[in-house]
Amino acid sequence: MAPLTFPEWRNQPLEEILYHCRELLEDTDFPTVKRWRAAGGKVLGHFQVYFPEEIAHAAGMLPFKVRGAPLEPMQADSRFGSYLCSILKTSLELALSKRVTMEMFVTHPICDAARNLAAVWGRNFDYPCQILYLPQNANSGFAATYLRNEYDRLRREIEQIVGREVTDADLRRSLAIYNHNRALLRDLYALKRETPWQVSGYEAYLLLAVGGMIPREEHNELLETALPLLRARPAKKQDKIRVVYEGGFCEQPPLDMLRALSQSTYVVDDDLLIGLRWILEDVPTAGDPLYNLAEAYLEKSSYSPVQHDLRKPKEEMLLQRIHGAQASAAVVTAAKMCEPGLEEQVAYTHTLDAHGIPYFVSEFEENMTSFDHLEIQLETFVESLLFA
Amino acid sequence: MTYTAGIDVGSTYTKVVVIDQENRIAGKAMTNTGFQLAQAARTALDQALAQAGIGAAQLAYTVATGFGRHQIPFADVTATDLTASARGVSTLFPHTRTILDVGGQTMKAIRLDDETKVKSFRLNDKCAAGTGAFLEKTARYMGFSTEEIGPLAATSKGAVPISGVCAVFAESEVINHLSLGAAPSDIMFGAISSLVDRSVQLMKRVQMEPEFTLIGGILRFPSMAAVVRRELSSEVNVPAGELVQFTTAFGAAILGHVRLHKIESQPADLETAPALA
Repeated sequence: MAPLTFPEWRNQPLEEILYHCRELLEDTDFPTVKRWRAAGGKVLGHFQVYFPEEIAHAAGMLPFKVRGAPLEPMQADSRFGSYLCSILKTSLELALSKRVTMEMFVTHPICDAARNLAAVWGRNFDYPCQILYLPQNANSGFAATYLRNEYDRLRREIEQIVGREVTDADLRRSLAIYNHNRALLRDLYALKRETPWQVSGYEAYLLLAVGGMIPREEHNELLETALPLLRARPAKKQDKIRVVYEGGFCEQPPLDMLRALSQSTYVVDDDLLIGLRWILEDVPTAGDPLYNLAEAYLEKSSYSPVQHDLRKPKEEMLLQRIHGAQASAAVVTAAKMCEPGLEEQVAYTHTLDAHGIPYFVSEFEENMTSFDHLEIQLETFVESLLFA
Repeated sequence: MTYTAGIDVGSTYTKVVVIDQENRIAGKAMTNTGFQLAQAARTALDQALAQAGIGAAQLAYTVATGFGRHQIPFADVTATDLTASARGVSTLFPHTRTILDVGGQTMKAIRLDDETKVKSFRLNDKCAAGTGAFLEKTARYMGFSTEEIGPLAATSKGAVPISGVCAVFAESEVINHLSLGAAPSDIMFGAISSLVDRSVQLMKRVQMEPEFTLIGGILRFPSMAAVVRRELSSEVNVPAGELVQFTTAFGAAILGHVRLHKIESQPADLETAPALA
């Protein structure tokens, strides 16, 4: 019987549920992980952006999304250069400061900094620190088979940690639970796209982001409870402009930045924590579950600046996202020192210019605390569209 | 007749103006903002609608502005007080290029371009130094109410210099001046002069140019405008009567008509993103 890691929201009204989600996201002691471990559970920490959590879940581990935190990287600062992004340092700080303890850590070659994270992490801890090599060439005919084998390698590593076999039947059960989670998240995003006055971009983010910190079964229960409450919420449809937010695929913008954004606009779609929503459809549970999972990563997936697939030119994908959400503008941000994000920002803005779609550009850092200037810049951008 | 409302949720007072499509003021009201912002806005709106003789159903659009603008759930949209003030002032005084807005706890200098759009702006620091709160506290230390500031300063024979504009430290300075026998009217006028010094500094930082228009609750006292006029060596516009305090709400209401007109004439039309190959 899995322990309940996040009981605070249960039997609470909607506003309290959202409040507790924010409390959890801001708690740098990560109580859900501690509760899981206190009950004897093991933890697999995985760095942004995408990780096939189903494999860790099937082994009975808690997949924990390592995505930094708004804290001072006191110890991690000495391990990395000042020119590197904040999420890299604060993620390692979580482990060095023992805020989060785990049995395995996995990162991905999404950028040079993240590629080196496993080695730096591994020098500080005696548990396995791995790189999951997602296919660099997603267009190769062998990409799915290659990735399936990479997933299998990961499965064998995990089996060593949990001391038991992770069977295909285990994986199929996990796929079903995650398929349900994906469906619920699609519902949440449909709600904010269709009736954004019932759930702000900020509130949707709170509900989404806790998913990386609790067992997926609990997240499913949370969403199953919150979604009907959101739909029944009495709220006035305001005359806000509809925007798509782009730039939250890895390091996360501070909650108050998202709140400020939601005050002035309807954020009808975004790429926030896209790894939790990477696979867009159900993964078939029949057949080889690892192959199905690998194929879904390649064939039924979203886009981000750290996956290079010629079939998914990112500028065109952004246009599709804007069009699909019937947005009239975009907010294009990048985390400071994030090479993939900043590079893509150039391509995004050129394309938006070419299509006459207004946009607002900004940078952020997870440790930002002052939003006055950003807020007023954003509001004047919105006003230039509303009242011109 | 199409009516819109502008709600200016200021730090001290909440002001509401209801206008028709010719920008004629049909009703206005003001109440203390307090700490229940939405309630204060609702109360003032109801009063303004009653004065206008219309019901809430006849209100086509509501724009909230001011520091508490995001706390008004029944507004159709929000606008910064910079944009709302600019719209209100440029409607009343179309040749305005620099606005000084002195409110209860904020002071803003706004520079407009030739099309009366906001070109640049500066706000006071986070504290209430150099704002209406400073004058109110100065008056209160001497036993006068806010409404007595204007008449009191008008009887001054010469300003007693007040070295700072900190609402907290002013108390000791005022007490010191009183104990030395200075007249309250001269102290009040000194406080106004000190505040104006700070205002002019703020205006310089936006590269001020004439025409100048002064708005905000403190400007309802003629002595304040007179000192600004003297410091700038220039004529200044001041909206007549109570309108000086309602200019931002008035501008917000006008923005409501701008938005209504835009919605009616330009249905949202987003260029279709190209399909993927």
